[in-house]
Amino acid sequence: MIVDARGVSRVFSMPAGPVTAVREVTLQIRDGDHIAVRGPSGCGKSTLLHMLGCVETQTSGTLLFDGQDVSRLSDARRSLLRLRHIGFVFQRFFLLPMLTARENVELPMSEAGLPRAARQQRVRELLEYVGLAARADHRPSQLSGGEMQRVAIARALANGPRLLLADEPTGELDETTGAQIAALLDRVNQSGTALVIVTHDPALANRASRVLTMRDGQIESEQVA
Amino acid sequence: MNAIGFAWRSLVRQPARAVLGVLGVAAVGALLFDMLLLSRGLIVSMQDLLDRGGWDIRVSAAELPGSGLRVPNALDAADSISRLPSVQAALVIRSALARIDRASGRPIRASFQGVATRSTHPSGSRLRAPWTILRGRDAAGPDEVVVDERIAAESQLEPGSEITMRATCVTDLEALPATRLKVVGVAEFPFQTTNEHTTGGTLDALKTACGGNVGHDADLILVTSTGDPDGTAGAIRGLLPEVTAATNREVVGRLQQTGFTYFRQISSVLTTVTVSFAVLLITVLLTVSVNQRLGEIAALRALGFSRIRVVKDVLAESALIVGIGGVLSLPLGLLLASGLDRILKGMPGIPVALHFFVFERQALYVHAALLTATAIIAALYPMRIVSKLPIAATLRNEVIG
Repeated sequence: MIVDARGVSRVFSMPAGPVTAVREVTLQIRDGDHIAVRGPSGCGKSTLLHMLGCVETQTSGTLLFDGQDVSRLSDARRSLLRLRHIGFVFQRFFLLPMLTARENVELPMSEAGLPRAARQQRVRELLEYVGLAARADHRPSQLSGGEMQRVAIARALANGPRLLLADEPTGELDETTGAQIAALLDRVNQSGTALVIVTHDPALANRASRVLTMRDGQIESEQVA
Repeated sequence: MNAIGFAWRSLVRQPARAVLGVLGVAAVGALLFDMLLLSRGLIVSMQDLLDRGGWDIRVSAAELPGSGLRVPNALDAADSISRLPSVQAALVIRSALARIDRASGRPIRASFQGVATRSTHPSGSRLRAPWTILRGRDAAGPDEVVVDERIAAESQLEPGSEITMRATCVTDLEALPATRLKVVGVAEFPFQTTNEHTTGGTLDALKTACGGNVGHDADLILVTSTGDPDGTAGAIRGLLPEVTAATNREVVGRLQQTGFTYFRQISSVLTTVTVSFAVLLITVLLTVSVNQRLGEIAALRALGFSRIRVVKDVLAESALIVGIGGVLSLPLGLLLASGLDRILKGMPGIPVALHFFVFERQALYVHAALLTATAIIAALYPMRIVSKLPIAATLRNEVIG
């Protein structure tokens, strides 16, 4: 079991009063799971994803990552946990524009303290894996949206995470490019990495083995393929 | 990629911002460097001027030499001083107003410094008059003088030339006798101001120029000790309680408490102002830069970059801007100091050889320390922004934005 969330809620304090973004969600993620989270805007999908990725802490309930209670971890320990075990793919890619594709992918490995030779070998492998070996020395501004998202996926996989979280990974892409990214994510999942995708795209969601539908901060239904 | 490499890439990514920051720090750093040079420049330069020639004690009638009051019976006083065991030599300086006739044009108004040495010490004869011979030799006879470069140029004099001088030693109302004197050298007078003309010679030459009417007083007695100026000055004060004997260090100390305080205060105020400007400039540039990259920073944090790491990146960026700007500021500061020195030396009564801006290694260290502090202080606010950055909320806002 990678993640074991039991009755987790997240309440935000707003000037107009508290807003419950996620309400008593219980969810388990195991190695190799492929989960899609769907639902209308504002239903709490991204907040749930952020809690699963340990960048947001729950206001109630328990969230165990690899058996550790995340809420008890210090900020530094949570950073380390994310660095080693969790990969993130964002709708807007968030590649660093001053770095090349190679350097963007290398960055998390460098932060994890991987030796230079090992980093370079792994960068080559990852860029080949996402089909961008020929664009290694290109900057994000020289890449298309689909290519940038491939680099972002390679970066997310840099330290060999057990869990890959993707927030609307095809949201900025056209249908064809989105399908290519979806196929790439499938390959990542098939290689054993658990995958949780938040998406509005039914085509992307239907590729998952478990599809969670959220409404008003709660999991309304779960479909298992 | 470490924090410095990362910061370097961030700067290169936005060259306009980086150049603006570096140039701003270079300009502010140059001013800061100049203020540091100014804060001790006059003191160091004055100490250097006083130490030139090897005279380490000044005996005068007032607290500070150059007040216009004269030491009475100066030759007798110099004799007594020279007999002290810790004294190598004593030099009496008596100055008078003089007019030097020219073949054409108006006469040159100059001061004539007549000097006489008294010594019982074996090495006392090695000490020279308080001027530096540039060409020719020093004046030794009663009809010999040395002149400064300006007089030499304006009257077209060289060693071997003759001048007609009319000097007045006692009162301005005297009828000035004309005396022919031989120019044996061209000299630099350390305390000569920009607008002054100066000549020098022996006290006997001054007597000749003044028609024998020189009196017994002197403006100053310079003394060289055998190695203990403080003890010797004390011994002179014991011997001659009616005069003031001050070591060069004491004279500088007194100047520091009076005239030089003004410049120290100016330099302190301007140092504070320039450092504040540098802090504001870098803070604004870094804050703008950080605010433009909040999404990227939040993404890095989500990918596992620690809080300390992103804070280090900001600090490294600040250090790079201030470091590069700081290095550039040194030659710029020296250039500016030389220009400002020329302007300030145009003030009346400032000796030509005195400098307002004097380079000292200590100034370099203080400059580096202040710029380091600037880099750290300037980075505090942007570091706080990235340190407190809510990852999830920022990612959410970036997508919505």
